[in-house]
Amino acid sequence: MALEVRGLTKRFAGLVAVADVSFLVQPGEIVGIIGPNGSGKTTLLSMMAGLLPPTSGTVVWKDLPIQDLRPDIIAGLGVVKTFQNPQVFTELSVFDNVRVASHLALKRALGLRRGLEIIGAARGVEGRLAARVGEVLALCNLGGAADQLAGNLSYGEEKMLGIAMALMCEPELLLLDEPASGLGRDEIRNLEAVLDKVHRAGTTLCLVDHKIGFLRGLAHRVIALNYGQKIAEGSPEQVLNEPAVIEAYLGAGHARA
Amino acid sequence: MTGQALLWGVLYALPIFVRGDFLLTIFIFTFIYAILAVTFDLIFGFTGQLSMFHPAVFGVSAYMTYLLATIYKLPFWVATLPSAAAAVVLAMIVGSICFKFRLKTFYFAVVTLAFSEMIRLFVMNWNSVTNGTLGLVVAAKPTIYWPGSGIVPIKGPIAWYYLTLVCLTLTVLICARCLRSWMGRCFGAIRLNEDLARTLGINVFRYKLLSFAVGNALASFAGGLYGYYTGYIDPGYLGINQSMEVLAMVLLGGQGTLIGPIVGSLVLTGLPHAIDLRAEIRAILYGAILIFTILVMPRGIVGTLNAWRAKRGA
Amino acid sequence: MTQLVLGQVLNGAIIGAMYGIIALGITLTFGITGIVNFALGEFMMIGAYATYALAERGGLSYPVAVVPACLIAAAAGYLSNKAFFRFTRNNLVNGLLVSIGLISIFESASMLLWTATPVEMHFVLPGALRVGDIGLPKMKLVVFAVIVIVIVMTYLGLARTWLGRAAFAYAQNPEAAMLMGVHTPRLETAVMLYSTGLAGLGGALYASLYSLEPAMGGVYVLKGMEAAILGGIGSLMGSLWGGVILGVIEGVGSIFLPTAFRDAYGLAVLVAILLFRPSGLFGDE
Repeated sequence: MALEVRGLTKRFAGLVAVADVSFLVQPGEIVGIIGPNGSGKTTLLSMMAGLLPPTSGTVVWKDLPIQDLRPDIIAGLGVVKTFQNPQVFTELSVFDNVRVASHLALKRALGLRRGLEIIGAARGVEGRLAARVGEVLALCNLGGAADQLAGNLSYGEEKMLGIAMALMCEPELLLLDEPASGLGRDEIRNLEAVLDKVHRAGTTLCLVDHKIGFLRGLAHRVIALNYGQKIAEGSPEQVLNEPAVIEAYLGAGHARA
Repeated sequence: MTGQALLWGVLYALPIFVRGDFLLTIFIFTFIYAILAVTFDLIFGFTGQLSMFHPAVFGVSAYMTYLLATIYKLPFWVATLPSAAAAVVLAMIVGSICFKFRLKTFYFAVVTLAFSEMIRLFVMNWNSVTNGTLGLVVAAKPTIYWPGSGIVPIKGPIAWYYLTLVCLTLTVLICARCLRSWMGRCFGAIRLNEDLARTLGINVFRYKLLSFAVGNALASFAGGLYGYYTGYIDPGYLGINQSMEVLAMVLLGGQGTLIGPIVGSLVLTGLPHAIDLRAEIRAILYGAILIFTILVMPRGIVGTLNAWRAKRGA
Repeated sequence: MTQLVLGQVLNGAIIGAMYGIIALGITLTFGITGIVNFALGEFMMIGAYATYALAERGGLSYPVAVVPACLIAAAAGYLSNKAFFRFTRNNLVNGLLVSIGLISIFESASMLLWTATPVEMHFVLPGALRVGDIGLPKMKLVVFAVIVIVIVMTYLGLARTWLGRAAFAYAQNPEAAMLMGVHTPRLETAVMLYSTGLAGLGGALYASLYSLEPAMGGVYVLKGMEAAILGGIGSLMGSLWGGVILGVIEGVGSIFLPTAFRDAYGLAVLVAILLFRPSGLFGDE
């Protein structure tokens, strides 16, 4: 078992955003988290990535509790998260954005010896990393935009760049916050293809989204949240047919029908 | 790139064509201040941290270099090393405090200013060692080790010209190497979006501290040079004026570039002296240049030139 | 000993009030318009020298000289804003640089006019009040009272009136304020005029107590900045408290440790506040 969320709770001055949520993510799985707006999905994901400290509960990754660690340490441990509103370095080129994200990869390749790079002595590793940047961009179908300024990209391309940067960090577990939101149909198909490739290469995925169709095709297992609580868990078909889930999305009337 | 090569070429060749001592003196001051400006830009233009701490290391290293050389009979260039080490220690302490508490731009500037001022007061009042406001007179000449000739004293404008120019060149080379590496990428990421940098695995605290330490360490050499050149060291070295001057040079020349601060130093050090007017008129001119630049050319001279060239090339 | 401490506290409070009026100017300007006016000390200097000129050279009596002096300072502020400051809204570094330029210009102009030799006004209000064993010069008490009154009235004026609410609305969201009918450029100008006028008043009051020199602005703007941060940027009464606390800390501190380090106490407290409570003593979290 790769990641375990145990009794995770987040309270914001009277409002309970996430209430005692627990679940497992097995290595190599694709887990989807669904729920209507305000159900706590993004908050949950942020806590898993160390961006938000939980009020109580733990997140255990490879037998290590990570909920109180800094985001950069968690990224170093192999858990990387993308953002719903794409976070990129708008003043840098697409290539340079991914290059910055190669920091972890460089650390892993050279460790302290990366000091050698400054005096120009680590050409081999540098070259390989630069090539890897190209590979990641190609994987995400951004190869053609490599020299463009990240700020000039379309929304869909920016989101893809965010994923490319996350991939450059060589994650074992990739957390995606609403990767399909705001994307057109073609872009969603592109996204599915990319995520499929990433998954086949061995990365575990955990995505949050409210586009049910998108998750249904992609996820092995789905967890449903409502008002911060887990209300269902199982295969996509099981969860999406649960009365509680239908009620959460469409109202009690539809559930009874 | 060729613009840079041209600039360096001209600077190195200058004494062949220019003999006036006065003119050479201006360049010497320019180069020393440029060291401060370039290293300040490393912290500010490249890493995005507005540090007001430069005067502290400038002054402390000026005093330390002279005192160590005099008390322990060390040659000048040897004495600069413990001074640089002291600068690193100070930077690490102040930097750790500031970055640990994640101070935002304005407050970081204020806290570094406060620490700098406290050190100035300390230096100003430690009369037994620093002679307080009376300052220290430096009668000795700095010496460097020249292979073949042994220990060589630096005397006369031309020798000083090349000494300071070489120091500036080395400073720029070191900064350039750092910036072109993974370190520079981290600095840039921190400047652009600290939180994003963190999620990509960059230890923001560590790299801010590194930038701060390296910048201050290199800046310390300017202190020793200035003290020995002017022959007089006083607490004014640690005054806020130095921070303002350096900030002005970087903004005028172009922040986020290595050549910009040098150009800024040339203009702000050279121009007022080139114009033969009363000190007060020069100061008014200086203020006017500053305001004009920031309002009309916020990218600075080099920044604006670069943007103009990029547009033409595109 | 207690007399000594008490004396230093009272003196410190009075000096602190002067820090406070500069702090008020800084906080008002930054809080409402988002402009960092680091050159506020220069307007204090202008007010001080203008008072000196009008009273000593122009023959006006002191209280009569104060008003035009403030107006002159405010006029200088208006020009500075019109020409330079309004382009630096919400841009700390630019505001800082414009301020540096202005400091250079004003200080040098002052040097040309008055030379670096300090000048002094004749005793405005001689005599002192005796409180126990401590003698407090009457003029200092007047200065303190005037400053406190002005700051309190500013606070009340902004908290209770429509203009004040408009000002804070503008500070939060300029577009929305504009849509609601607040004439924003006029508001900005008003704030600049007022804050520099206040600084001028501070200078005029300063002139009645101490000797003047062109470089005086630099020291006071730093202290004013410290006081503003201590009290919490954005808190009007906080600037008065911040100033007074700073003044008292410096005064009392110099009893126990060398006077030469007077400035350091305030700095140390400032650092502590910024590290542990950046919003200042009275600001919002």
